[in-house]
Amino acid sequence: MLKFNRRAALALGVALLSTAGLPALAQDYPSKPVTLVVSYAAGGGTDAIARVFAARLEKALNGRVIVENRPGAAANIGTEVVASADPDGYTLLVGNQGPMAVNPHIFNLKHDPAEALDPIAMIADASLVVVVGPRLPVTSLAELLEKAKAGELVYGSAGNASASHVATLLLGQTAGIDLKHVPYKGAGPAVNDLVGGHIDFMVTTIPSVIGLVGDGTLTALAVTGAERFAELPDVPTVAESGLPTYTASAWYGLLGPKGLPQDVRDKLASATAETLADPEFIAKLKNDGGVPSALSGQAFADFMAAERARWGEVVKAANIKVE
Amino acid sequence: MMDMLYNLGLGFAVALTLKNVFFCFVGCLIGTLVGVLPGVGPVATISILLPVTLALDPTGALIMLAGIYYGAQYGGSTTAILVNIPGEATAVVTAIDGHEMAKRGQAGLALGLAAIGSFIAGTFATIVIAALGVPMTKLGLLFGPAEYFSLMVMGLVFAVVLAHGSLTKAVAMILAGVLLSCVGADMETGRERMTFGLHMLTDGIEFVVLAMGVFGFGEIFKNLADPEKRDLVKGSIGRLWPSLRDLRENMGAILRGTGIGAVLGVLPGNGAILGPFASYAMEKRLSKRPQDFGTGVSQAVAGPESANNAGAQTSFIPLMTLGLPPNAVMALMVGAMMIQGIVPGPQVIERNPELFWGLIASMWIGNLMLVIINLPLIGLWVKLLQVPYRLLFPAIVAFCCIGLFSISNEPTQVMMAGAMGLVGFALWKLQFEAAPLALGFVLGRLLEEKLRQALIISDGSMTTFITSPLSAFLLAIGAFALLVAVLPSIRKSRDEVFKDA
Repeated sequence: MLKFNRRAALALGVALLSTAGLPALAQDYPSKPVTLVVSYAAGGGTDAIARVFAARLEKALNGRVIVENRPGAAANIGTEVVASADPDGYTLLVGNQGPMAVNPHIFNLKHDPAEALDPIAMIADASLVVVVGPRLPVTSLAELLEKAKAGELVYGSAGNASASHVATLLLGQTAGIDLKHVPYKGAGPAVNDLVGGHIDFMVTTIPSVIGLVGDGTLTALAVTGAERFAELPDVPTVAESGLPTYTASAWYGLLGPKGLPQDVRDKLASATAETLADPEFIAKLKNDGGVPSALSGQAFADFMAAERARWGEVVKAANIKVE
Repeated sequence: MMDMLYNLGLGFAVALTLKNVFFCFVGCLIGTLVGVLPGVGPVATISILLPVTLALDPTGALIMLAGIYYGAQYGGSTTAILVNIPGEATAVVTAIDGHEMAKRGQAGLALGLAAIGSFIAGTFATIVIAALGVPMTKLGLLFGPAEYFSLMVMGLVFAVVLAHGSLTKAVAMILAGVLLSCVGADMETGRERMTFGLHMLTDGIEFVVLAMGVFGFGEIFKNLADPEKRDLVKGSIGRLWPSLRDLRENMGAILRGTGIGAVLGVLPGNGAILGPFASYAMEKRLSKRPQDFGTGVSQAVAGPESANNAGAQTSFIPLMTLGLPPNAVMALMVGAMMIQGIVPGPQVIERNPELFWGLIASMWIGNLMLVIINLPLIGLWVKLLQVPYRLLFPAIVAFCCIGLFSISNEPTQVMMAGAMGLVGFALWKLQFEAAPLALGFVLGRLLEEKLRQALIISDGSMTTFITSPLSAFLLAIGAFALLVAVLPSIRKSRDEVFKDA
């Protein structure tokens, strides 16, 4: 009796040890809630896209997906949290252009996102839009660039090294003009000063100004992406407006800590693909200014590497590295 | 005028449906609770509830979220008055005289005045939003970086009158607050300042961390250090309802506070937070006995509380008329609108009139509910104070910690508040007042941001502050106030000279 008990206990112990030691198996993944880390405060653009995405991903994964906001240090804290998490697929990151492609050129980071993170799939691509307010009455990008050559224009941005800032830097560099940068804390206060006529123009996310453009308070001159945005069909792209080499967009992707088990990665990639194909999700994404992306795995990794190299040059030319 | 009445009629028709009244009630109730709990704020609460609102219709969802926000501003005064710990960061000013009143057995009067002041402010602010929403928007837009900077300078001058002790110490505290606000990455270059390489300081110090640390934890340390004189309200809380005479005496303060708060609430960059400070300064200036401020003057509670609530409500104006969020809570509201498929912006009035006017009408209903919810609860809150300290203090500390952690899901925020608590305790021991520190902190951040923005725009030319008429006007008021404040002391020192001779 005693012997049997001891043997049973041993067997149980071995069984427990072996399950604990095994990596998560795709068939039971997810067996607990998945945390989706967003490196920005709740209520912002990345947060909005992450929440819409998480809500649909839950269905595709058949398990809970929780959005956790870990804002701070120019979105580098969120990256660090995920880079140092266990690669079990339960802590994932919604990474975007800023921390993935721009920050490595500006800050001294603890973890290089390209080395510490496994790209799973890109979620969305969001074009930015060039808008002018009452202080600069122009109707086309060509006119804006003309004015900028005549005298320095003042532009606002959502903050130092934000997508809005670097996209404008690239615009100035491509057109060969000098612009004056006024950083704000977030897009909201900057748009406020644009509407009030205190600054000339801004390159910002579409949702932050689409209401004001529709009402005529602000004028949209061009969208920064490769294609026009469905909700603003009459607004040309920057490339169409005389700067054919120019594109810039804020993009969002799903990443995990380096070393995710292949089957978990596959499961996440296919769940993401399912989510991105859902028309209801696409419609919600459009409200947030985004279009779904088709890049996953290596293609997403290559895209990020190309973006990082490109923005590296912009940052270097503008000399905005933090010592 | 007819239009407005018609629109308000539509709004009330929407807001008074059983369902929306229910959402409004739930919002106000949750808001009151998070307001009362120190540290737990509307930002954390609304972000937690954001996914829940997906299942609701847009109007109901926004009515509820709005209720949480202004309900929290309302509830924040309760803890400030009773235990000298501001439930919300904006209740810092209320604590100064509110708690002194409570210690004198006038807790009921203080809470009652706060409630009635808030209700009057809420009613007035609702009318302002409905009638003057669009012109008020223009007012907010007038304030560019230069004008905003001058407003802050004026505020800084007025800040001095917040103190009731030594003027030197008050100035020292304001400057310390300004310095603390400089901690963190430089907004223009991204360079770290005064962070000592610590990650938790790169984004600067959160106002909630400062307020909960210096005022919340500091108060608890203070009480533990001096067990004989624990100044929690004991025994009687006095009458719950202010008498007609009390109301008459405080009506001026309530109306002035409402006006100040309503105007500041429209400003971008969370101008609403300045309302209570400005109202306190004004009441002290107008009072016949300014030396009594800080010892439990009812106007010093009624005015700032009204300003607080009016500002909380008018800060919806930029959100509703332009789709621009002036603070973190409004940013979440924008998020909630977008999740619901509503494009925030000027078109909301035309495209979703039932939402726009329904939300406005619900604010008045919500304010009425807050009075109904809160007045009977005052008795209950006061009962809570009879809970022994050994149970009450750990509970307060626990809630503070939960709230602080929820700011950014970082334990470092809790640690930082702990350190701030020691600072608060030290300040109390050395007889420095903490309120000017908080104000210096709030003003300092905006002061630097706006100064630099203004100077970038003007190419470094200081004349920008004088060439803008609004900016020049604000600076002139500041200079005048400074003169008035300095003159009597010059006269006094001269008198002393004569006395010696």
